[in-house]
Amino acid sequence: MDNSATLEAEVISERRTARSRRLRRALRPWLTPKVIGGGIIVLLLVIGGLSAPWIAPYDPNAQNLSQALRPPDWLFGANVFGTDALGRDILSRLFYGARISLVIAVMVVIISGVVGIALGAISGYFAGTTDFLIQKLVEVVWAFPPLLLAIAIMAFLGQGLENLILALVSQRWITYCRVSRGQALSLRSREFVDAARSLGARHTRIIVRHIMPNLLPSALVIGTFSMASAIISEAALSFLGLGVPPEIPTWGSMLADGRTYISTSWWLALFPGLCIFFTVLGINLLGDGLRDILDPRLKRSGSGIG
Amino acid sequence: MLRYLLGRIIATIPVVVLISLLVFLLIHAAPGDPADLLLSDEASAADIADARRRWGLDQPIYVQYLRFLANIASADLGTSFKYSDPVIGLIGERLPATIELAIASLLIAILIGIPLGVWAGAKPNSWADNLGSVLGFFGISMPSFWLGIMLILIVSGYFNWLPSSGRSTYGVGQGSDFYVIQSLLTGNLKTAWDGIKYIIMPAIALGTGMMGLVMRVTRSSVLEIISEDYVRTARAKGLDERTVLWRHVLRNALVPVITVVGLELGTLLSGSIIVETVFAWPGSGSLLIAAIQSRDYPLITGTVLTYTIAFVVINFAIDMLYALIDPRIRFG
Amino acid sequence: MKASCRRLTLILLASVAATATFGLAQNAEAGGQVTIGVTETIASYNPYADSISMGYAIWCQVYGCLGFYDYEKGDYVGILVERWEVDKADKNVWTFHLKRGVKRQNDGVEFTSADVIHSVNRINNDPQSKQKQNISPIKDISAVDKYTVKIVTKEPTASLLEYIFDRVIITAKDLYDKHGAREVDRKFPLGWGPYKLKELVIGQRIVLEKDSSHPDAKPKNPDTLIFSIMREAEQRVTALINNEIQIAQFIPPHLAERVSRATNAELLSTSSVEIMFLAMSPKYKPWDNLKLRQAVCYAIDRDLIIKNVLKAQADRLDGPIGPGQYGYDPEYTKKNLTIAYDPAKARELVKASGYNNEPVYLDAPVGRYINDKEVTEAMVPMLNAVGINARLRTPEWATLWADVQKGKTPFYYMGRGSVVDPSVALSQYFETNGSPRIGISDPEIDRTLAAERVAFDPAERKKALNIAFKAIEDAAPGCFMWRHHMLYGLSKTIVHKPNAAGRIFGTEIVVK
Repeated sequence: MDNSATLEAEVISERRTARSRRLRRALRPWLTPKVIGGGIIVLLLVIGGLSAPWIAPYDPNAQNLSQALRPPDWLFGANVFGTDALGRDILSRLFYGARISLVIAVMVVIISGVVGIALGAISGYFAGTTDFLIQKLVEVVWAFPPLLLAIAIMAFLGQGLENLILALVSQRWITYCRVSRGQALSLRSREFVDAARSLGARHTRIIVRHIMPNLLPSALVIGTFSMASAIISEAALSFLGLGVPPEIPTWGSMLADGRTYISTSWWLALFPGLCIFFTVLGINLLGDGLRDILDPRLKRSGSGIG
Repeated sequence: MLRYLLGRIIATIPVVVLISLLVFLLIHAAPGDPADLLLSDEASAADIADARRRWGLDQPIYVQYLRFLANIASADLGTSFKYSDPVIGLIGERLPATIELAIASLLIAILIGIPLGVWAGAKPNSWADNLGSVLGFFGISMPSFWLGIMLILIVSGYFNWLPSSGRSTYGVGQGSDFYVIQSLLTGNLKTAWDGIKYIIMPAIALGTGMMGLVMRVTRSSVLEIISEDYVRTARAKGLDERTVLWRHVLRNALVPVITVVGLELGTLLSGSIIVETVFAWPGSGSLLIAAIQSRDYPLITGTVLTYTIAFVVINFAIDMLYALIDPRIRFG
Repeated sequence: MKASCRRLTLILLASVAATATFGLAQNAEAGGQVTIGVTETIASYNPYADSISMGYAIWCQVYGCLGFYDYEKGDYVGILVERWEVDKADKNVWTFHLKRGVKRQNDGVEFTSADVIHSVNRINNDPQSKQKQNISPIKDISAVDKYTVKIVTKEPTASLLEYIFDRVIITAKDLYDKHGAREVDRKFPLGWGPYKLKELVIGQRIVLEKDSSHPDAKPKNPDTLIFSIMREAEQRVTALINNEIQIAQFIPPHLAERVSRATNAELLSTSSVEIMFLAMSPKYKPWDNLKLRQAVCYAIDRDLIIKNVLKAQADRLDGPIGPGQYGYDPEYTKKNLTIAYDPAKARELVKASGYNNEPVYLDAPVGRYINDKEVTEAMVPMLNAVGINARLRTPEWATLWADVQKGKTPFYYMGRGSVVDPSVALSQYFETNGSPRIGISDPEIDRTLAAERVAFDPAERKKALNIAFKAIEDAAPGCFMWRHHMLYGLSKTIVHKPNAAGRIFGTEIVVK
């Protein structure tokens, strides 16, 4: 009884160590410098935004007019990153700004990516009339001046974060659509697609299983890049009254407010700009790292050419 | 081929009509009135009503639209409320400036972005790749107004190398039409040089972000292609690395790259408002913004229609390029 | 591809190096040429198709205008007009005696009353005209003889000169009759002004050249005057410091120091004639409550905002107008029109008004007035502090302006420009049926404004105006905030005294 119990325990513990060993082995390829570096950057930005109420030294909207435009006070100063034109603490506003800006960046990229890739894949895969119609839609939407679109959305739907995202998405899907379509056009006549088709696979399955995975790398590059412009464009739209009200800090509006002070108070535009840079850098590192791991062909070639 | 071309041209007509209808409805539905915005603060209600009548804004909207369509049919886009001039002429005056700037920025993006991307894609994770990528991230994270003002402050302000705004020096040239291109073609080096001085900074401000994107897309695409079977076959056949890279890899990697370049060209042609403002570049972007801000209906519709046609042409040209670089691509 | 890349780098490097030398060479040759960095210029060749003050000033020195308001003298001065008078019996009848022997550029044709009448008619009839408001008081205009013009107004208008003097651009009748509107504006822009139109690239620059034979054109005045569009303030300052331009218009407060520190430029400032105010429309709750409106005026610490947000580049307004504007009386203002910052009193007024803490939205434009966003952002906590639950909104300008003009905006921050004589502006905003912008209807304001309009004796009129100011302030449909300083950067190679209207005349610039 005792013996068997110990034995069982041993087996279990052995299984456990084996499992943890397997886990470690499975994790190992993930722990590349890119994934770790990118992960840490992204995590820090997200944590900064989430915990803003606890870690921000000041209320982001607390004005102190007599302390306006104080330069950064690097060590243990009252305002580590300085103050803006109304004496508000830049660091606190950066923490709070992360909330809206990151949400906008992620939402806009995901929604426009999904819409754009799907339409692009369909357009390129079927070609012919389907392609023609979808590309005409692209041309119509593309030609709209973004400013006019924003004014119209504001007039018909009113102010709000969701309308801001709608305004940003309304034209951004085009990039994904065009790029995916171009690639899908080329993929549809490849051997592996022909093979799948001759095996009787349905169109949906071919698009989802064979076409889309090949579209993702380019879309990923565009997505991570357009995060920056989504954050920057938010400010322009918010100034039109669309989007977030002026009392809510965002990186985009901080950057825009800082525009007039570039030569005299550089810190106003620089810090939100750096936040955007680190967001792009972090996401790209993470994206690159994940791709290195997930794309088996890449690993082969990596050793082949390197 | 001719039939195909003709078909594409005819197919453009419904697009133009559709967009004209959409824009027309949208701008009339948007708040704001051109008479309120263009007359001075002192204008009375009667003055404003008078202007509305002269501009035909007192008519029902469908009458206005039908008039507009009738005008288009005779190649007349109407007269701008703000600039008091035929819309076609105004666009014709501003578009060349935008096209020239677009070409210059695109040159920067392509000539730097593509080689850098190929290099980075061929040697992933090398120092060249990392350096190129970080440069790309800087390019895309830097808002063009920031880069623009920085260039003005440093290149014009500190070093006093280049003029800070405009398109030409008074007395040297007017800076209208295709200033640089025409000067180069006619061999007038003095005005060509004048134009180049003015175009460098705005082109950098516009081209840098684009260069980053082109570089990253090229890199990603090259990474994809380089591991394909035929590339390894080519390499196994003993072709030297450079031939493999430039002939086999780049050619096939170009599809997403030229798509992105086409998209960027479209964006450039519709004019970058920020860069045109920062460098006082007299292009069509600032014309459209002025039109929207003053609700100059004929000018807005006219400009948007011009862009629509430009985009149709770009998309068509890109499709042709696809077929050229990748014979497997068929549109039927 | 690699080779071409290298070639490009070389070309780029070579261009930068070459520009360095060229750039320097060019600055040295600037002599009689004065370039002005402006935010906007005219949008058309047609002198009647713009209604921006810069446009009037440019056309006035090319074609000519009747006269202008001299801020130093505090009175109107004739240009094409010798003298003028109002009929003693009928205050509607004005007579203008034109200068004789004024010769036109190039062909020397003499200026006559026919040209004045033609110009007024063209403002009225040109399909592109955006200047009808300037002739709105005029019922009839006729020529008494070759050098005398009679104007009959619809009702007695003491401020007629404000409407027409530098706003009615005088163009030639004979050229118009001969060539037609489009042709004459483009090919024969000849007038009786001291400068000729040399080049107009819309959206880029406008170039004027001195007509040395003109009696007003002195040798020391710049030979060439270039108005060059530079919308970015940073750029105007940089260009000024680099000697690219000689006058930089509209320097924002925070860049003032950069200009005054420059060795080759100086900073000049003048008070603008644009009055900035907060408007509260009694048509909307809770602004129908007088006490709440008054509370707003007490709640805002204008001095603090001026000092810190506007960097002291503004003057507080006590009452609707300030020094230099017509009818300003320092003593009366000090005694009767000054509202001091008093948060305690504001709090009391809010309490007494019975305001139930519903949110109110302050609408403000962004980028239209100096530091408009910052200024209104700073007002919000001040209003909150006295118990008004205010929030800021920043609608797109065209939308906001459309709503304001239709009377659909309850609470907003706005400016009213060109207030030299406040009569028109006050009537427009505060009189019943003046316009729907604020929508107040107050019998006392109506009565006092009407009384001011029929007072032709200057002393009497000033008194009447001040009584109207008081009536407006008592009814508090708005709180008057400040007038911005208009800051100019001026190269030390020239002498120029900027005026409150922002008018830049080549004949007022002297090249050292």
